[in-house]
Amino acid sequence: MTGRPTSPRNPASAEEPIVFVIDDDASVREALGNLFRSVGLRVEVFGSASEFLQSKLPGVPGCLILDIRLPRLSGLDFQAELAKAGIHIPIIFMTGHGDIPMSVRAMKAGAVDFLTKPFRDQDMLDAVTTAIERDRNSRNEARILSGLHALFATLTPREREVMALVTAGLMNKQIAAEIGIAEITVKIHRGHIMRKMAAKSLADLVRMAEALGLRHPAP
Amino acid sequence: MAECLVLPMMRNQTMKSWRSAEQWLLGSMVLALVAAACIWLVFGPAPTAPGDLLAIVLLVALLLVSMIMMRMVGSTRRQMEAALQGRARAEQRATEALRGSEAQWKEVFEHNPVMYFMVDATGTVLSVNSFGAAQLGYSVSELLGQSVLQVFFEEDRDLVRQSVSVCLENIGQTHSWEIRKIRKDGSALWVRENAKSVRRLDKQLIVLIACEDITERKEAENALRQSETYLAEAQRLSHTGSFGWRVVSGEIIWSEETFRIFGYDKAPSVTLDMVFQRIHPDDRARAKQTIDRASSDGKDFDHGYRLLMPDGSVKHVHATAHAATDASGGIEFVGAVTDVTARKRAEEELHEAQAGLAHVTRVTALGELAASIAHEVNQPLAAVVTNAAACLRWLDRETPNLDEARGTVRSIIKDGSRAGEVIQRVRGLVNKTAGQKAPLHLNEVVDEVITLVQHELFSHRVLLRLELAPALPLVLADRIQLQQVILNLVVNGIEAMQAVTDRPRELVIQTHQDETHQILLTVKDCGIGIAADNADRLFDAFFTTKSSGMGIGLSICRSIVDAHGGRLSASGNVGPGTTFQFTLPLHQEDNTR
Repeated sequence: MTGRPTSPRNPASAEEPIVFVIDDDASVREALGNLFRSVGLRVEVFGSASEFLQSKLPGVPGCLILDIRLPRLSGLDFQAELAKAGIHIPIIFMTGHGDIPMSVRAMKAGAVDFLTKPFRDQDMLDAVTTAIERDRNSRNEARILSGLHALFATLTPREREVMALVTAGLMNKQIAAEIGIAEITVKIHRGHIMRKMAAKSLADLVRMAEALGLRHPAP
Repeated sequence: MAECLVLPMMRNQTMKSWRSAEQWLLGSMVLALVAAACIWLVFGPAPTAPGDLLAIVLLVALLLVSMIMMRMVGSTRRQMEAALQGRARAEQRATEALRGSEAQWKEVFEHNPVMYFMVDATGTVLSVNSFGAAQLGYSVSELLGQSVLQVFFEEDRDLVRQSVSVCLENIGQTHSWEIRKIRKDGSALWVRENAKSVRRLDKQLIVLIACEDITERKEAENALRQSETYLAEAQRLSHTGSFGWRVVSGEIIWSEETFRIFGYDKAPSVTLDMVFQRIHPDDRARAKQTIDRASSDGKDFDHGYRLLMPDGSVKHVHATAHAATDASGGIEFVGAVTDVTARKRAEEELHEAQAGLAHVTRVTALGELAASIAHEVNQPLAAVVTNAAACLRWLDRETPNLDEARGTVRSIIKDGSRAGEVIQRVRGLVNKTAGQKAPLHLNEVVDEVITLVQHELFSHRVLLRLELAPALPLVLADRIQLQQVILNLVVNGIEAMQAVTDRPRELVIQTHQDETHQILLTVKDCGIGIAADNADRLFDAFFTTKSSGMGIGLSICRSIVDAHGGRLSASGNVGPGTTFQFTLPLHQEDNTR
């Protein structure tokens, strides 16, 4: 990572991860910014939680570094608020005087790490790497899922019904009996489904149904 | 009486009749003789001359004899009459004297302000004087012949019967008793009766009783007894006993409550040893000192001490006494001793609660202060560490980015300075009140602190010795801050001696002026002392050897003393313990400017 150039923006900059830092202490903010820039990471720093919320979040992988002792709103409360608003950005907490109950609460609420100031730079960078990786993965999953949703939306109601029954493991004959159509018609629907969903095999289709949360209607 | 008056009269009459009979007898004898001579002359033998002559001679002789006899009889009779008359007069005089004396005694008997009763063996009143009857609201005649019991209360009558029978059994002996009598109108009077039984001439056994009215005395006694009862009750309620002490004779008088407080049975004599025997061994020397000094100086005293009771319980008492000079010029103390155990216990509990609260408050306040300082220092520190790491990374690049590295180092310097400023600010907190410095007497501040730690000293059994130099010059200082420093040193001293049991826990506070005219205050304890390897860190913040300490005290003390232009230092004693000392410059320097 250390060797990665920062100044010349490569074309993949849209996918370049960003580290967000929220700390009311300017020195700490700047020092963290300096550290992340020195390893070629994009950094955006904020003095308060509200400043962060006002800024537009780009759709790239990232993580949030949050001082637990923030003016007005505590870091832990801000974590809860973000979750409520559907913003699932991985959080690394910093604290001047960490105590166990606080760290447990933070970790349970999904924090990546809990670092006590002053922290070792490598610990912070490792935590950031982990957090960005986690965000990238979840972003990928979300992207795949939204693709599946788009494909699923092209199916007709009947095809959706047949897909649910097929992925539940029913034979064509059983499906025909179930919904009162000819077995040959079931076969035609099945073919359309496989094509529209771009499924390579039945197993692939079953995985897609699972990801979509498709359920076989009650018999 | 009438008999006596009649008797002499009758005797007079008899005497007169006897005298006339005698005269008659003599007259008749003379007549008889004359008649006999005539008969002899007429009828006798013829008179012869010598016979006639003889007869005449005889007659004359007879006449002479008769005349002499008559004279003799007359004079004898006169003598007898005179003797008889004298006797009668003497008798009359004696009778009159007797009568006078009797009237006089009667008068005494009737009007002597003592009630006299004479009763027979059955208790019937034979005689009573009019004063006695009047005192009971009766007339004499109303009581005579009645039972004497009617003038006594029903419930006392048995006692009366017993008393009378005792008198009757011991004839001639005087008995006395006090009893109530009841008047005709039902009111009561107290009497003291002196009684004695005697046998009358007619052999009848009677009891003579003289009664003296003692109602007033009894009422006074009752009032006194009641007042004593009230006093005893009040003493019991207030747990306060009284005492009197004559120093010369060593005579001590205690009230009932004092006996109760000291846990002794009521005894006629009390000794000072009994007092000291009860005083707690730890307090004995001090109490003895107070008492000895008071008795030799004849001054009022006032002191508190503990009593160790035989059952092992401990009482707190407070004694206060006023000195007076008795009739013989000796010193006499009159005082009160109060059992203040309950109050003391409540005070101790309150004090513990307060101390606990104060400790919690202090720890909380210090905890918050420490957390705040920690945060303030930690922020720039975190920035410094992070920047330093970043700086290395700028330099470690394939092409070191010196501009970034330089900027980072500048940030490090800035943050380092900022951390220093935080420390300065904390120091400044202590110096903030420097504007409140005023000229003051150091000894006064010491006195103020001592009143604050009185309880601490007492509860830790610490003897405080003050060696305050008189007429110390004024110092320019903040009173509160100086109090804090002294208080801290004193409390440290007390705590350092907590483990000491083999020697008196003595704390010495000393003030004096040294040869450089600086004012010095030393607090010397005989406690556990300071381990050599701790001596250097003694004044460091957050250094403590105490389990409950924050380690802030001495560090703040030093800051305060420094802010006053003085110096706080510590040194081990030659013997056990530690001496803390601080100096303060003179206020005069400011004045001369």
